[in-house]
Amino acid sequence: MKKHWHEQIQRHLNGQSSVGEAAALQAALSEDAELRALYLDYMNLDVALGAAGEAATINENGTGRMATFPRPTAQSLPHYWPWIAATAACAASVVFAMLPKHRNASPARPDIAAIVSSTQGAIARFSLEPPSLFPAWASPTASLLEPPRIPQ
Amino acid sequence: MMPTLGDQHHDRFLLLFAEHESALRTFVRAMLPTREDASEVMQEAAVVLWQKFESARDFRKWAFGVARNVALRHLQARTRDPHVFDDELVNRLADEAIAMDQRHEAQREALETCLQKLPEPQRALVLAAYTKGTRMDELAAQRGQTAMSLYKLLHRIRQALLECVRRTIALEQFT
Repeated sequence: MKKHWHEQIQRHLNGQSSVGEAAALQAALSEDAELRALYLDYMNLDVALGAAGEAATINENGTGRMATFPRPTAQSLPHYWPWIAATAACAASVVFAMLPKHRNASPARPDIAAIVSSTQGAIARFSLEPPSLFPAWASPTASLLEPPRIPQ
Repeated sequence: MMPTLGDQHHDRFLLLFAEHESALRTFVRAMLPTREDASEVMQEAAVVLWQKFESARDFRKWAFGVARNVALRHLQARTRDPHVFDDELVNRLADEAIAMDQRHEAQREALETCLQKLPEPQRALVLAAYTKGTRMDELAAQRGQTAMSLYKLLHRIRQALLECVRRTIALEQFT
């Protein structure tokens, strides 16, 4: 490969080539597959040297340019989300402030005493012993429940 | 704490992106005239890839397709720039860059060894020239030379590095 093209490709990748040089390079690249391979090798070298330069900077300073991609978390909520939350909070405050008036005006309050009484009745019914299928004397444990007989 | 589905999706993307990032950068660089263009397109392509990522698909093929589209769209805004190659050549370079992917990966690996073979002042110079934000005229002034002579020195170093990586790969293939 002619030294001339090494020079021209490098001038092009540095952004130094004139309009005439760029046109000549384009014409030569369109015709010559070997020259295209050289051009692509130089472009690859350019990218690799960029990465090496960056790595050297990171090693020196401990900092560098890193591509970051945001994680898909709650941070991705729309930016107007805080305003919606604030509005909802205000609306809730207003509703709570109005609630006592409604409670005083309501005629359909449940009768708490009746509910308590009904509940107590239900509990009392549940606490009744279930009817036995056998007479008391047939129970093997009935004698244990009888008061002890003290011999006279 | 158990990783959520979102975390797994994110981690899967990062793994795939990191695996193919260098090849994508070479591919994009081959299509565009300057490093700045390539950097802009790469950033834009990375955003599109992240937004539309689905782990089920063939990531490499899909990523190259996305990067090609982003690069071509970027070039459409610069059709009047005489340094921009025509669409036919750009697409041909893109196709050949994909075909040469393994060779380029081997060259990137060989570069580390070749950089170590350079004399220390030359290695320091080339790494300084490729550090982000370095201005060549300022670097030349620091070294007490003209920008033109600095460029010529860098050309010789790059050519030596390219010959070194090509020779290294040829030797590896031979052995």
